[in-house]
Formats: sequence, structure tokens, C-alpha cells
Amino acid sequence: MHSTSTVVATPQQSLPGDLAIWIFILAELLVFAVLFMVYAVARRNNIELFNLHQLQLDRTAGLANTITLITSSYFVVRAVAAIREGRAQLCSRWLWAAFSLGALFLLIKGFEYQHHFSLGVTLRTNSFYLFYISLTFFHFMHVIMGMVILAAVALKAQRGGYSDNEHTGVETGASYWHMVDLVWLILFPLVYVMH
Amino acid sequence: MNTMPTLRPCTRTWLLMLGLTFVTYAIARLGLSGEGLMLGVLAIALFKGQLVVDHFMGLRRVRGFWRPLLTAYLLLLGAALAGAFFLSQG
Repeated sequence: MHSTSTVVATPQQSLPGDLAIWIFILAELLVFAVLFMVYAVARRNNIELFNLHQLQLDRTAGLANTITLITSSYFVVRAVAAIREGRAQLCSRWLWAAFSLGALFLLIKGFEYQHHFSLGVTLRTNSFYLFYISLTFFHFMHVIMGMVILAAVALKAQRGGYSDNEHTGVETGASYWHMVDLVWLILFPLVYVMH
Repeated sequence: MNTMPTLRPCTRTWLLMLGLTFVTYAIARLGLSGEGLMLGVLAIALFKGQLVVDHFMGLRRVRGFWRPLLTAYLLLLGAALAGAFFLSQG
């Protein structure tokens, strides 16, 4: 017969959020992995061009965006912790804070795009910019999608739609947002730094 | 009596990730290069990815294959990218 202490000694949790979002996350990660590999292979065939134009990117903006996404992800972790304690209003505030940082990410990236476009850079300029714009814009769209999810979850939390017993929606939205963060953590060094 | 405030594990993870991000940025700003250093930059990115998987997504204590699956994803992607970058140096 098992004692209670041996049963709880190594707590194992079930998957946070809905199973469907994890399958979706895996699919998204695979798509990004393929894109990253295509970038790396294209770079191998045009090393000098990629190294030259990579220097034109604003690494400080890349740093700011990395800090912004990491911090927004941290805020989402705090939101999940809050709802697990039954503090729905606090959860909602953390989510709105994360949403705001998502908006800041878009703003910074928008300034970067505006700068490049004002210099006449387009998808056709060269293969480096084709990949830079395509990869970052694809991620940009995921940030927007994540913000829509965060806003929907924050509004529901605000209205008392989640509790310490039922908060699958918060965990589901959080998992998606962390995936968006995870992808950027690889994209930033790959496109802005590695040469 | 210990009066030092203790940080939540997720807060420590967040601060560690910020620190590692500044390391990557410093390497870029100083114009440092070299295969070893670029591999280091990639390793930092993958380590931060694992921190997200473990502490932000919360998969560290989750039963089943999800954590090993995402860890394998990061390792395979890292190996493939490293291969592509090393091959390009040849």
C-alpha cells in the first residue's frame, strides 16, 4: 500500500492548456525550422552577400525586440500563476501587460521595416532581404495572432470566465505566446548576429 | 533571520534570459566572429529556448513525451543550423 508521501514526492503535471494547441505549436515549429534551414542553406551559397547586408540590420532594435518578447512571455507566466491562485483580475492585468509589449514589438519592427523600405529595399533587392523580410514578417504575423489570443483571454479573465479550477484557456493562450517567443529567440541570432 | 526577498523561479529564468541576450548583443556589437563564437551564439539561443520550454511553457514536470520532443527539436535544429554554417566555412 502506498503512503501519501511517496505518491506526492515526485509531482508530475499534465500538459498545460488544450492538447490541440500543442499539436498546432508543433506544426508551427516545424514550419519555422524548415524556413530557418532554407535561410541557412541560401546563406551558404551567398556568404559574402549575406554577411554584408546583415550589417545593415539594426541590432539594437533586434535586442529591444528580444527583451520585449522575453519580458512579455514572463508576464504571461505570471498571468498563469495568478489564475492558478484564483486571482482573475491580476491574471487579466498581467495579460494586458504582455499584450502591450507585443504591441511594442510590432512598433519597433515597424520602424525597422519603414527604415529599410525608405532606402528602397524590397523583397527583390537580393536574397538576404528576401529571407530577412519574409522570415521576420511571417513571425510578425504570429505576434499579431498571439496578441489577438492574449486579448481574448484577458477579456474573459476580466469578466470572471476563469477560476483556479478552470483556466485551460489561459494556459492554451500562454502556450501559443511562448511559442512565438521561442521562435524569435532563434530567429534573432540567426538573422541579426550569426555570420 | 533571513530578510532577503526570494525571487520566483520564473523571475530568475527571465533575468538569466535577459543576461544571455545581452551577451549575444555584445558579440554582435563588438563585431566578434569565428566559428567557435558563432556556435556559442547558437548554443545560447538553444539554451534560452530550452528555458522557455522548461520554465515558461512549464513542461519540465509534465509527464509524457512533450518535453523530450521539444528538446529534440531544439537539438536537431541546432545541429542542422551548425552544420549549414560550418559547411559554409569550408
